[in-house]
Amino acid sequence: MSVTIDSPDQLPAPYRSTGATSRAFRVLRRKPSALLGGGIIVFIAFVALAAPVLAPYPAQGRGLADVPARDLPPSSLHWFGTDHLGRDVLSRVIFGARPALGVSLAVVVLAVLVGVPLGMIAGYRGGWLDEALMRVTDIFLAFPPLLLAMVISALLGASLLHAAIALVISWWPWYARLARTVTQSLKHEPFIDAARVFGVREPLILTRHVLRNATTPILVQATVDAGTVILAVGALAFLGLAAQPPTPDWGLMVADGRTTVITEWWISMFPGLAIFTLVLGFNLLGDVLRDVLDPRSAGR
Amino acid sequence: MSALLEIEDLRVDFSRDGHVTSRALRGVSLSVGEGEAVGVVGETGCGKTLTGLSVLRMLPENARASGRITFEGRDLLALSTRELREVRGSRVSMVFQSPGTSFNPVFAVGDQIRMVAERHLGLGRKEAGRLVVETLGSVGLPNPSGVMRLYPHELSGGMLQRAMIAMAIICRPSLLIADEPTTALDVTIAQQILRLLRQLQREQGFGVFFISHDLDLVGDFCDRIAVLYAGRVVETGATGALLARPRHPYTRALLEALPGRAEPGTPLPTVPGTVPTELDGAPGCAFAPRCPLVVDRCLQERPPLAPVSNGHASACHRSDAP
Repeated sequence: MSVTIDSPDQLPAPYRSTGATSRAFRVLRRKPSALLGGGIIVFIAFVALAAPVLAPYPAQGRGLADVPARDLPPSSLHWFGTDHLGRDVLSRVIFGARPALGVSLAVVVLAVLVGVPLGMIAGYRGGWLDEALMRVTDIFLAFPPLLLAMVISALLGASLLHAAIALVISWWPWYARLARTVTQSLKHEPFIDAARVFGVREPLILTRHVLRNATTPILVQATVDAGTVILAVGALAFLGLAAQPPTPDWGLMVADGRTTVITEWWISMFPGLAIFTLVLGFNLLGDVLRDVLDPRSAGR
Repeated sequence: MSALLEIEDLRVDFSRDGHVTSRALRGVSLSVGEGEAVGVVGETGCGKTLTGLSVLRMLPENARASGRITFEGRDLLALSTRELREVRGSRVSMVFQSPGTSFNPVFAVGDQIRMVAERHLGLGRKEAGRLVVETLGSVGLPNPSGVMRLYPHELSGGMLQRAMIAMAIICRPSLLIADEPTTALDVTIAQQILRLLRQLQREQGFGVFFISHDLDLVGDFCDRIAVLYAGRVVETGATGALLARPRHPYTRALLEALPGRAEPGTPLPTVPGTVPTELDGAPGCAFAPRCPLVVDRCLQERPPLAPVSNGHASACHRSDAP
């Protein structure tokens, strides 16, 4: 059969590839802050993985005390100084990247895994199921997340694992809400109807058409939340409700130096800066992901 | 010509909290023969799109359909959801009004068409991909294997509508429902899309259920026309006869309102008033309040769809009026 073209200007411009990878590069070129956000996360992840190699005093990073060398200011021997027990702050900040990254990722991933499917089903089905699920989330959302996490964490007993569980419990309703809203708005899109007209099964409509469209807002939210979780874990640790000494936890380290913050400022400041940097990294990354994941933003 | 699709006494009611709030279709009967193109025309709200959606059972949740829709010997309204899914997209498919929103924006066009082919034809990924390229070529898209990888926002409206048609015909359906397929396109592209549909129909022999508000377009494309008014068929007949000698005053009014037939320099004639929306309406003809030929009987008694000549029927007490 003959091939006809509507008109010359209907020929698409070069058949360029618009895969996520090439979009990622384009976004990186246009937005230097993207590079910064991604760079921070990659850097901290690298530090976490290579901690035993990078830390100048690996044993102290794990908590071994050296009391005679305590409260030393930053110097060429101890770049970030030493704490009240003579442990090298730099080594402990380096090792602290592990629980920080680990907990924030675990909490967000679990909260997404619990919240998103529930929210999507509620939003797509509607009716009594939706009502029931949303009332449950209402109960959780009625308390400030940090307060809820503190109560749960106190009930379970203070440990990093329990703090993580507590944060998942107080975080998943937000994802359920988000997923529900996105699903509800997508459900009436013509292309969802079109998929049904072409005989696509409902579960496949949810997992393919709805989920793929909901991925961007959820992933962006999750990335920004990863930063918030770090702050929350830090706050819990500061209050003694998360990691316990001698774990090299940033929140714990900030708490450790708080009484002498005027004189021995380095004990609190460097772990505080580490928290700040990681949160900043997640926030910048969240911004960029929005652009990278959405094919429509490619040309802009 | 045997009937491929036979709609009998189709009624669709909308209800809220158990109360019927509107009777959208009040007994539509229509048929589409194999390889035949039937046009359904009428103004906004007369029920033409709803009739098309009923065939695919795509009605909104608060709508209820009754009557019978026989397609290839089976009553579509009685099928289980699973049986229905086998029919949708495979035996009956649809081309939508706005191609721009009918594709999922986050998937490449070719992938979406391929999913339909994989789903219904039981093809592997590779074979389905080849079929997609072939089909995209057959709807006149240049460089089909390149187009396949593009996202919906990277294609123009005309190209998207071609892709939509490719998706609709890839499983070789026997019935294609086209709901205002050219409304969102500009005039020259619209003509090309119609030409394409006609050519494909000739090649593959599917029946077309063509929904439009544009009598000119329907007159060009269809073998038969059904005019819908307020949820009922008021006139039906072969295109030539119906356009040359419309018997129902509503059809006449629609024809007179076409820009092509107006006297230059004079205002376009319009049909005064609007479609009645009352729940059960007056006992008489629904068009009576707007009708120039109205007599007392029209207000008392609803005229049935009665044959006026071979294959031509009109629901008017005054079908014989000059």
